[in-house]
This record gives sequence, C-alpha cells and structure tokens, in this order.
Amino acid sequence: MRLATLRNEPDSAQPSAAQPFAFKLSNVTVAYRSYQERPSSLKETVIRFMRTGKMKHYSTFDALNDVSLEINKGTVLGIIGSNGSGKSTLLKVMAQVLKPTQGRVVVNGSVSSLIELGVGFDPELNAVENIFLNGSLHKKSNADIKSRVDHILEFAELHDFARTPIKYFSSGMAARLGFAVAIDINPDILIVDEILAVGDERFQAKCSTVFQNFLKSGKTIIIVSHDMSMLEHTAREIVLLSRGKIVFRGDPHHAIGMYRDKSYETALQG
Amino acid sequence: MSSVSQTSAISFVPDFFVQMYGYREYLKQSVLRDLRNKYKRSFLGYIWTMLHPLAMMSVLAVVFSHIMRVPVKDYAVFLFAGLLPWNYFNSTALMSLHTIRANARLFSQIPVPKYIFILSLTFSNLANLLFALVPLLIISIVMGRGVPLTALAFPIVLIPLFLTVVGISLILATSNVFFDDTLHLAEVGLNMLYFMSPVLFHRELLPGWITQYLVLNPLFCQIEFVRNIFYDGVLPDPQVFAINLCGAAFVLFLGLFIFRKSEDKFLYFL
Repeated sequence: MRLATLRNEPDSAQPSAAQPFAFKLSNVTVAYRSYQERPSSLKETVIRFMRTGKMKHYSTFDALNDVSLEINKGTVLGIIGSNGSGKSTLLKVMAQVLKPTQGRVVVNGSVSSLIELGVGFDPELNAVENIFLNGSLHKKSNADIKSRVDHILEFAELHDFARTPIKYFSSGMAARLGFAVAIDINPDILIVDEILAVGDERFQAKCSTVFQNFLKSGKTIIIVSHDMSMLEHTAREIVLLSRGKIVFRGDPHHAIGMYRDKSYETALQG
Repeated sequence: MSSVSQTSAISFVPDFFVQMYGYREYLKQSVLRDLRNKYKRSFLGYIWTMLHPLAMMSVLAVVFSHIMRVPVKDYAVFLFAGLLPWNYFNSTALMSLHTIRANARLFSQIPVPKYIFILSLTFSNLANLLFALVPLLIISIVMGRGVPLTALAFPIVLIPLFLTVVGISLILATSNVFFDDTLHLAEVGLNMLYFMSPVLFHRELLPGWITQYLVLNPLFCQIEFVRNIFYDGVLPDPQVFAINLCGAAFVLFLGLFIFRKSEDKFLYFL
C-alpha cells in the first residue's frame, strides 16, 4: 500500500494498514481563469499593462469550490451533475494530474485513469508503440511491458490492428485500447469517465466482468457518467455536483432522483 | 486551509536526476522513436538527413573563407566544430516551445513530472548531435588534418552544454505555455546569442574588451571547448571549464526553479 499526496511528494509517509479510505479531499478548490480575459501573448500582456497599469487582469471562476470528500476503499462511487458542474475537474484532481488551487488531496494506493477517451495516446504511433509509451510513463520496464502487450491487445480485441497508427482507429477501438491499458496496470483505484458507453455489448459485458473482479479484490472504482440506469446498477453511492459543490452524496436512487427533478438547483439558490 | 505542500527549495535539483533515472525507459523509448522518425530506419535516411546541415555549412564555409576571407586555417573544420554545439542548443531551444502543448494529452491523463518531455527532447537532439559528429570527423580527415586524440574528451565537454540546453529549454517551454508568442522573442534572442558566440569567428578577431564580457555567456565557452578538442587539439583550460560547469549548473537550477513553480498551472492554460 502506498500513500501519495500529489505526485513528487518526498514525504510519502506510509499510512497504517487499517486506513480504510482510498481518497481524502479536504477543502479542494480549483479556480480557472476566465479564458476570454486572459491575455495569451506577451504582446497583449504588455499592451494591457501599458493601458491599465495592471499585470493581472482576469476573473476566476471556481470549477470546484471547497469540496471535501472521503472515499472508502472497495466502493463504486458515481459522480453525476450537469455539464460544467465540475465532474471532469474533480476526476483530474483525483487522478493527480491537476493540482488544486487550494486544498489537499491524499490518495491511498495506485491510480489508473481513463479521463477522456483515447487521450494518453500518441495518434501517430501504432497500438503496440502506444502500449510501450503508456507503460514507460508508468515507469514500467521494457520487459514488463513486453510481457503484457499480447494480453492487452487480446483484451482490446485489436490483434489485427497492432501495427496501425491510432489516428486511423475508430473511437470505439481507441477507447477499447485505452480501457485495456488502464486496467492492465492493475491499480488499486480506477477512475473512468464515460468509458462504459463504448464498445459493443460483448465488450461491455467483458468490462463489467473486469469491474466485478476488481471489486472482489477490494479495489475502488470511480465513475463519471450521464448513463443513469448504468449508474443505478453499478454505483454503491453517488456524488451529485452542481457548480463546483457537492450537493448530495449517498444513495444512488435518491441522487438520480434529485438530479432528474433538478430540485437541488433551487435548494442551492435558496 | 493548507495548499498541497511544495517540494522544498533545494530538493528539486536532486529530484530532477532521480526522476530522470526513474523514467529512463520512457526516455529511451522516445529517443528511439524520434530517431526512427528522423532517419526512417535506413542508412540512406541518415545520409539524407546529414545533407542539409552539410550543405548549410558548406555555404557558410565558402562565403567566410573565400569571399569574406576570414583568416582561419581549415575554416570548414573550424566552422563545423562550432556549429555542432550551436545547432544542438538552437534546435532544442526552438523545439522546446512546442513540447508542453504537444504532450498535454499525455500528462492530462498520467501523472508524470512534465520536464520529462523536455528531457526527452534534449536527449533526442543529443543523439542527433552524436550522429552529426561523423561528417565532422570525415571532413577533418579529408582535409588532411586527422582527428586529434583530445576528441575523446567529447563526453565530458558535453556535460555543461547539456545542462545549459536543458535549463534554457525549461524556461522557454514554460514561457510558451503562458505566452504563445514566445517564439518571436526567442528567435530574436537566439539570433543575438548566435553572434555573441564564436560560431563564425575566432575569439582572437575580437577586441579583448568585448571577449571579456562575451565569456559570461556560458555557450561562448562551451562552443570553444568543442572547438578546442576537435580543431585545436587541446583540452579545455580546467579552471575555465570548472567555472563554466558551475554556470551551466546555475542555468539548470534556474530553469528547474521556474518550471517547477509554474508546471502545476500548465493544465489551467492549455
């Protein structure tokens, strides 16, 4: 078991074995700068400075606003919310690729994430080269990756396309490869974004078998999805996000009900 | 509310080398990939790639030795020995501008230290530098000079050059994330640096008072080191080398410092 706060932390003290959480987010805020107001070139920055005498000239909006969340090991957590509610930002923070503006993230275990379909691949490279690229970025040795290539291709059902550059893949093929690579890392925590919606029924059945095995071995899955019926079946609890805040956490049925009748929006304004 | 703790002030320098070792598999893979792309897996591809710098160099050699009549013996060797380190620096600095954007897909999914991508670029270009040695040696032999034994010191002479190149590339790459017109400034800066470095001329052609300032440019001495061992057949002055190595280490430190301070914000801007 490994404790990693955001990556590169030198002081990764080992947690006691009894610690039951997979994620602990404390007061996490992610403030994006409004894109329209942000000067993107030195020229604009200098001109703006000459005109207004201000270096900083942008407003921020909080994609996540003071979110605290503790997720237990061995659970399936669904995250729902309308577009722009902060779901993807939350996933990125959990996947440790986005450092929050404020707050603390503690991760207990290794994480593998599938945040956007097909990302994490170089479109110019073929499937095998991408498997090596991905593995090496996870600090795996050459021999280690080599021994897994066949298994990954087989799971993704892409043996016939092993030498085809990813850019010629259909989105389904790329997603299958992404899924196969992500689960092959055998992480303690799997973070997925809409991945279940890809592939045909047979592939989806395969995915859910993998998920079941995952859960049996006490691992944690975090899913963002708009597919409510899927979430109702798979998730043990659901977090409902709205405007960067958690408005509800708990029973899936209740959360989906709330999400559908939009009652939380008025509750938030009141 | 505590923000996620920063790595302490100095530890990021040793950390850099630890990470370089940790990601050696990725670095190896990506250097091989770049070489394969460049030389198209064939000897002919290699010759073809060498034609461009050779032709460029021949133009300069003819202009400066026969038309401008620079009083330097075997000017072609003199020039080529200076161009090797310069081209390494120049091309890496310019290519580093795109590195972060080009790899955003990878680091938005996999948590990696982002300077790994800059390192991979510097190593790729280092490999190209080694390949470009062959024409230099051939020219030296064809012109009847032979290759001095001091050429064996090349790996040691490369160390300060490598550190400088990484440091400057880190700074330029960071700047380009925030200001996408960095290229214009970088081009002007590099052009200035080109004429402040002894690529085309011999330091003895300059008035002493200018040289006294020009040696403050780390590249000035690094280019001379390479020229010392391949053209003059002498080893660099140990004292000058030691001072230069410290300067190069400082450039790396500065680059790492700036990069590490800003890298967490990259995803907010890309």
